Amino acid sequence: MSRSLEDILFVAPSPRAQTITRTVSAIAAVVLFLLVLGVLFRFHSAGQLEAPFWKFFAWPTTWTFLVKGMLGTLASAAMAAVIALTFGLVLLLGRLSRQRLVRWPSIALIEFLRGTPTLLLIYVCFLVLPSAGIKLSTYWMLTLPIGLSTAAIVAEVYRAGVFAVPRGQADAARSLGMSEAQVFFFVVFPQALRYIVPALVAQLVIVVKDTTFGYVVTYGELMQNAKVLVANYNSLVPVYLAVAVLYCLVNYAISRVSKRFAAPVH
Amino acid sequence: MDEIFQLFSNHGPAFWQALLLTWKLTIASFVPGFLLGIVVAVLRLLPLPPLRFALSAYVETFRNIPSVALLIFIVFALPDLNVLIDYELAVILTLMLVCSAFTADYLRAGINTVDSGQIEAALSLGMRPMQVVVAIVLPQALRAVVQPMTSLIIALMLSTSLASQVPLQGRELTALVSKIATDSAAGIAAFAVAAAMYVLSGLLIAWVGAAVEKKVRILR
Repeated sequence: MSRSLEDILFVAPSPRAQTITRTVSAIAAVVLFLLVLGVLFRFHSAGQLEAPFWKFFAWPTTWTFLVKGMLGTLASAAMAAVIALTFGLVLLLGRLSRQRLVRWPSIALIEFLRGTPTLLLIYVCFLVLPSAGIKLSTYWMLTLPIGLSTAAIVAEVYRAGVFAVPRGQADAARSLGMSEAQVFFFVVFPQALRYIVPALVAQLVIVVKDTTFGYVVTYGELMQNAKVLVANYNSLVPVYLAVAVLYCLVNYAISRVSKRFAAPVH
Repeated sequence: MDEIFQLFSNHGPAFWQALLLTWKLTIASFVPGFLLGIVVAVLRLLPLPPLRFALSAYVETFRNIPSVALLIFIVFALPDLNVLIDYELAVILTLMLVCSAFTADYLRAGINTVDSGQIEAALSLGMRPMQVVVAIVLPQALRAVVQPMTSLIIALMLSTSLASQVPLQGRELTALVSKIATDSAAGIAAFAVAAAMYVLSGLLIAWVGAAVEKKVRILR
């Protein structure tokens, strides 16, 4: 199927329909433009367009500070992703194990990590662990909970991938005399990964978004640095707008890259 | 075990209220978010380039912005623009916007599962494009997205924890737990109870979702 559904739905409109479409398009464009104008007017009437609120964006220090925050975000997200991908594999192996003593705790752990909000886990690292004598740096207070809760989701994603691999593959590998570990790591898992690249990348976007909680533990990521900027220049709207745009750009870029990787498997 | 009994004798009612508030926030943001998502998905089909562009921007924005950042913007930055929104409404609005963007995105995938032959057939019967969408495309798309929607509600339920970041009147589960943990040293029991409530709510949603899925699944 090459044509999209939209094209089929509105195929070959009559000249009259074409004119209607064009007129409505123009009206829609005007309405959207007016909407933008209205927002800008709101900014103006609230005094948010005045120079003091914006001029510090012209200073390089502002941007180095924001980029530093961005790097903090990426450092935390990258480590959380590594934890999620590796620990997720451990959880998957536990869940697929034939030993009930391994399987049931793994299932319980997955359901627990997956079913509780990441923010709650961050609060555990932030408020409870110190009173138990475990002191983590702010980096780990943020990264560890995100990594662990993502690991549980990744384990389920892996599992979906493993089940998508045709059974014959494993059977054939076994008949060649491979051990169960060899079957899994050389035949089944590499193929499973190819099915789930889009889902894994979607998870990466969520990891980047979760690092926003860094300001809870005062780890220097984008949101935390934005708060500092806001405190310095008393300019909430412009700073948060800039940060929102930065987040959207990064996450949009990540999901676009995934579309490239999501080439057909066969 | 003793700790949990003690916790319940001290904070029992607070926990039930927190659970109810968590559920309330979930439902109050899912229902309008879902409906808005359907509207966005359908409007995106119209052959109007400016509208399509604006709606794509809408979906990409609210899909990619961290909900906390959005909530903080609504609560702390909008007052600077003379837009004052009640805390609870701000939380619901945040989650609703995010939910609508994801719903629109999933529905688009669901819409693409509808076979193009069906649409051509309907058009050749003389149905108008919008009739085709409402009577043929949408019902099938909605049935195809039950599973992703279930995951979305669970994610939404977990996201209500970000309400703990604003001074809400009542406390939902995460806010309650962080308050108990700051007030007293016995935090771990409170976390365990809240985690259990979250997990059980999630399992409940997943169970209902699976039942609905079983009922409406389209066999191809």
